Amino acid sequence: MADSRTINDPVGGLMEGVTDALSGEAVEALAADEPQWLAERRRHAWSVYERTPMPTTRLEEWRYTDISRKLKLDSLVRADAKAVTFDRETAPARLLESMDADHEASGHLVELDGTVAHVDLREDLAAKGVLLLSLREAVTTHPELLERHLATDALPPEQGKFQALNAALWTDGILLYVPRGVRLDHPVRVTRWVSEAGKAFFSRTLIVADEGSQVSYVDEILSDDLEAQSLVSSGVEVLAKPNAQVQYVSLQRLGRGAFHLAQQRTLAEKDSTLDTLNVNVGASVARLDLNAQLIGTGANSDMLGLCFGEGDQHFDHNTSQDHVASHAKSDLLYKGALDGKARSVFRGIIKVHKGAQQTDAYQTNRNLLLSDTARADSLPNLEIEADDVRCSHGATVGQLDQEMLFYLMSRGLPRHLAERLVVLGFLGEVLSRLPLGGVVEKVTRIIEEKLHG
Amino acid sequence: MSDSPILSIRNLHAKVADEDVEILHGVDLDLKKGEIHAIMGPNGSGKSTLAKILAGHPGYEATEGDVTYLGEDLLEQEPDERSQNGVFLAFQYPVEIPGVSIANFLRTALQARLGNDEELDLFDYQDQLMEAMELLDVDPSFAERPVNDGFSGGEKKRNEILQMAMLNPTLALMDETDSGLDIDALQVVAKGVNTLAERNPDMTVLIITHYQRLLQFIKPDHVHVMIEGRIVESGGPEVAEALEDRGYEEFKSTTT
Repeated sequence: MADSRTINDPVGGLMEGVTDALSGEAVEALAADEPQWLAERRRHAWSVYERTPMPTTRLEEWRYTDISRKLKLDSLVRADAKAVTFDRETAPARLLESMDADHEASGHLVELDGTVAHVDLREDLAAKGVLLLSLREAVTTHPELLERHLATDALPPEQGKFQALNAALWTDGILLYVPRGVRLDHPVRVTRWVSEAGKAFFSRTLIVADEGSQVSYVDEILSDDLEAQSLVSSGVEVLAKPNAQVQYVSLQRLGRGAFHLAQQRTLAEKDSTLDTLNVNVGASVARLDLNAQLIGTGANSDMLGLCFGEGDQHFDHNTSQDHVASHAKSDLLYKGALDGKARSVFRGIIKVHKGAQQTDAYQTNRNLLLSDTARADSLPNLEIEADDVRCSHGATVGQLDQEMLFYLMSRGLPRHLAERLVVLGFLGEVLSRLPLGGVVEKVTRIIEEKLHG
Repeated sequence: MSDSPILSIRNLHAKVADEDVEILHGVDLDLKKGEIHAIMGPNGSGKSTLAKILAGHPGYEATEGDVTYLGEDLLEQEPDERSQNGVFLAFQYPVEIPGVSIANFLRTALQARLGNDEELDLFDYQDQLMEAMELLDVDPSFAERPVNDGFSGGEKKRNEILQMAMLNPTLALMDETDSGLDIDALQVVAKGVNTLAERNPDMTVLIITHYQRLLQFIKPDHVHVMIEGRIVESGGPEVAEALEDRGYEEFKSTTT
């Protein structure tokens, strides 16, 4: 398994994935100006990265995504943090178009090639103590919040090799804090734009919703097609304190050439609601690891996902619903439509820990194949250690229904329009479960755009 | 010109696409502009197969004969072309399309008729839809529901007539529209068809049914009896009445 990009350690298999750009020196360069606690945290994360072997297809969780073939780590150059300001005059059309659709917002944040370039937040919300800012800046301005939550409870490096890499090498990202009892009427809109090919981007998001607060957060990452592979690593930690209500939405619209690694972990405390929606339509390869932790009694997580692939796009979803506390509920619905030679993998597990009685946990994955060469693999799983629970899981992979197509065509729709309508209806069921104004319209438009080709 | 048929079926033979068993053994039928015809027949006589062949269902195949519609070869046309040319099939079993609202579906269908050069007038469309829903005695919220998804039998059939009202066909094929309907729903559906026929006296209707029941509400000009893949008797409304009295058995015996 030795190749040019691995520096083989005599102890065997160690330091896999260490390259010129992804190195201990890079970690030290980042840590140099940082407070002690953060420097230590980076070094610890780096040591976990070095110690953890590169995942191979022999691991169940990576069985269908061969990292050694799909990700060329040794050809990547790390994107450094730099001073950038957002300028409408020079901003790419696609970025502006996406931002302009998001006018109804509590605040906006724009990240350009891994560095936060613009933030605005409604004044009344800022006055109430809501924080929306660059993570890098927050190291100086709000160290106590970061020291307590960043890469500790939610997404510690021990979660996996790439979680560790992100924790070691993040250059910037987003902090959102909503104080106790504060409720935001409109979503916080984050737009992240990638333009550089051949780079590795490490961005991190920390969302803390304090007791009884309410917030929805929409992250949209996009780029044009990239001429050389870029790695976009997005580490996301979302904490919902007791009675908080949080909706986290991720829209991934990267161009071809992008390898997106999304690592998300959500912690739902007592009687909180923490819902997620992951939309994957872009990138050449998109891997999602989502671990939803229900750590307080009465917590509730709706986990929604949809993907739409064509060409040779490859999506790999790896989800877990971790029921630690009793009387909690999680309900997952992931749907995928795949055309061309696109491929999707869904691997989901419901884990009900001992003592998590009265758990309700559901998991559904449905796939629609639009061509003979598309492929979907679905692997739902249950692991239950409590005895008083309601759990179910189901998975389907199907073709377009010919009776449906005939019905629509008999009303005058040409075949391609009939197919488009069936696909929109199929994926739309996911969106109908997230009554988040503006987002549903946006996602519908994104899918329609892609269906038009 | 007004006397030449809009639909002319000659010696039509047909079968299920994947099977070798012939279902229609030479059907001849002429429908003229503005006429209402009924084809009656017992289960398995081939009357639904005829409807599906005329609409272009991919599961059925014509093996011999000709179908001429408005002077063109109908069997050569794709299902969407047939619809665009004015053929409408009200399904016996309308198909559920989850996640697609009736309003969206109909808007897409009407826009498809206009092609790319012309934009559908959404205000006209709304008015037209409201009017049609009123005619069929359905709540305006009906149009926001996903097409046939979780509908009762009666709702599905009303939805068929609603689509017929919106698409305003030249030739309406009604495949067992009365099946699964209680008498109230049957009357609403019949009223819908009658109103559309009054609105457009040129519309030609072919009703396919097992029972005489629907024909009490929609009066046909011509009635045909189909037995074992052939039309064995044609006449006026009196044929339906004779069937009511004597049943299909007598016609079966005449075919052997």
